[in-house]
Amino acid sequence: MATPTNSASRQLSASFRDPSGFLFTDNGILYRQINRAYAEDYARLMDSGLYEKLVKAGALIPHVETEQVSAESEAAFKVIQPERVPFISYPYEWSFSQLKDAALATLSIHKRALKLGMLLKDASAYNIQFVRGRAMLIDTLSFEIYKEGEPWMAYKQFCQHFLAPLALMSCRDVRLSQLLRVHIDGVPLDLASELLPFKTKFNFGLLTHIHVHAGSQKRYADKTVEPRKGMMSQQAMIGLIESLESTIKKLTWQPAGTEWGAYYEATNYSDSAFEHKKQLVRAWAEEKKPTLVWDLGGNTGVFSREAAASGAFTVSFDIDPAAVEQNYQVVKKNKEQNLLPLVLDLTNPSPAIGWDHAERDSFGQRGPADMTLALAVIHHLAISNNVPLPQLAQFFAARTKWLVIEFVPKSDSQVKRLLSSRKDIFPNYTREGFEAAFSERFKIHQAEPIHDSERTLYLMETR
Amino acid sequence: MHLSPLPYLDPGSGSLIIQILIAALLGIGVAVRASWGSIKKLFGIKPKADDDDTDGDSN
Repeated sequence: MATPTNSASRQLSASFRDPSGFLFTDNGILYRQINRAYAEDYARLMDSGLYEKLVKAGALIPHVETEQVSAESEAAFKVIQPERVPFISYPYEWSFSQLKDAALATLSIHKRALKLGMLLKDASAYNIQFVRGRAMLIDTLSFEIYKEGEPWMAYKQFCQHFLAPLALMSCRDVRLSQLLRVHIDGVPLDLASELLPFKTKFNFGLLTHIHVHAGSQKRYADKTVEPRKGMMSQQAMIGLIESLESTIKKLTWQPAGTEWGAYYEATNYSDSAFEHKKQLVRAWAEEKKPTLVWDLGGNTGVFSREAAASGAFTVSFDIDPAAVEQNYQVVKKNKEQNLLPLVLDLTNPSPAIGWDHAERDSFGQRGPADMTLALAVIHHLAISNNVPLPQLAQFFAARTKWLVIEFVPKSDSQVKRLLSSRKDIFPNYTREGFEAAFSERFKIHQAEPIHDSERTLYLMETR
Repeated sequence: MHLSPLPYLDPGSGSLIIQILIAALLGIGVAVRASWGSIKKLFGIKPKADDDDTDGDSN
């Protein structure tokens, strides 16, 4: 095979661990090389009917085989082109139910594979992405031919990536999902065991898969046990998977009592202002026809849905896990295909993590968006977080072509509330100051006073 | 007999041991359920639909 001459071809650093193959892009198209070492497993996946069955069920990313050549073509068996995921997200950006659904999807795929003589050789949460509103496995090379009697090599990984964070979110505090941002290979089980409330020791699943499991890891830390055939019958494997499944199904979290959960009820908006804002967002999205929209501070996704209605894939970010949870429940209920709710703190967005800072992209690296909505969010960034207006303009300009941004003046009751307990050190926070700062980076196309309010909605284009 | 090739993930010694113990215990339940199913079949009671083939919308 010839080596590619195209300098645009590059290997992606998210997939270097698995010797079965790797991801690369060429001229912006994503490919996955399958190495010869994986040929037999790939053939089984395709020939056993497993691939077809999983793709039909919406559980596995579809792909086509191509003639594309890669930089390491001597090891290549085949090159496939998987369907592109519209927006890559990470487990520390998911709400409780998103992580739970990703966990259940992983177990369900593993069980289906077992029926056709295969299994999942890894159980990384990063192998799951939300596509068309559903948790889907995106790593075609995760399957391996099952040899009767072998244990599940990914058991530890599954417990660290899914069960431990879910148990912590459900039984201790939902914000502990952020441990996944520090621990890229999942929450260490001894840490989870220490942080979980004592009562979880009376839950058979959590007792065995986390507490006793952590104890066993400590006890055998310096001993070598080689995985052998005959260690575990298929019935035992099924028992294990069903136990993980039922333990996870019983874990719940109800969004309540958080900061923004009831935001729209507590807002100073009148119905007509709310409707007017919705109309403007919808009209501008339909006019500019963005492919990817980011709604920053999207709350439960009311305005994200206006953008999504224009056909754009819309990512609705919010800092509040309760709002994101509610948003995701609506996505599921209505089977919405082009809306992805995610947890993100705009004042400290997801960093690039992993080996060489290159395994998981930062929030900024996953842009730019064609259109960004920043509705009722500027006062939080400029006043609560003290970001000067020119820096805000620079932040948005680097991440989007079109910006739909709402200016909330100091006379607005929400801003008054923010300033009530602190010194007003923001002399430039005026409509004129805002327009001057943003005009440096954007061309202001429209400025619409929102009915029945003191706020203004702008449509801007990056210069 | 060793498994070949070795897995690329380190399954972890302690994780492997506890997995085998838990799974052995839980496997008994699966075996009992399976034989109970065949006893019921003898009496003409249909088994419940296999949820694993229908849980395509488990999420």
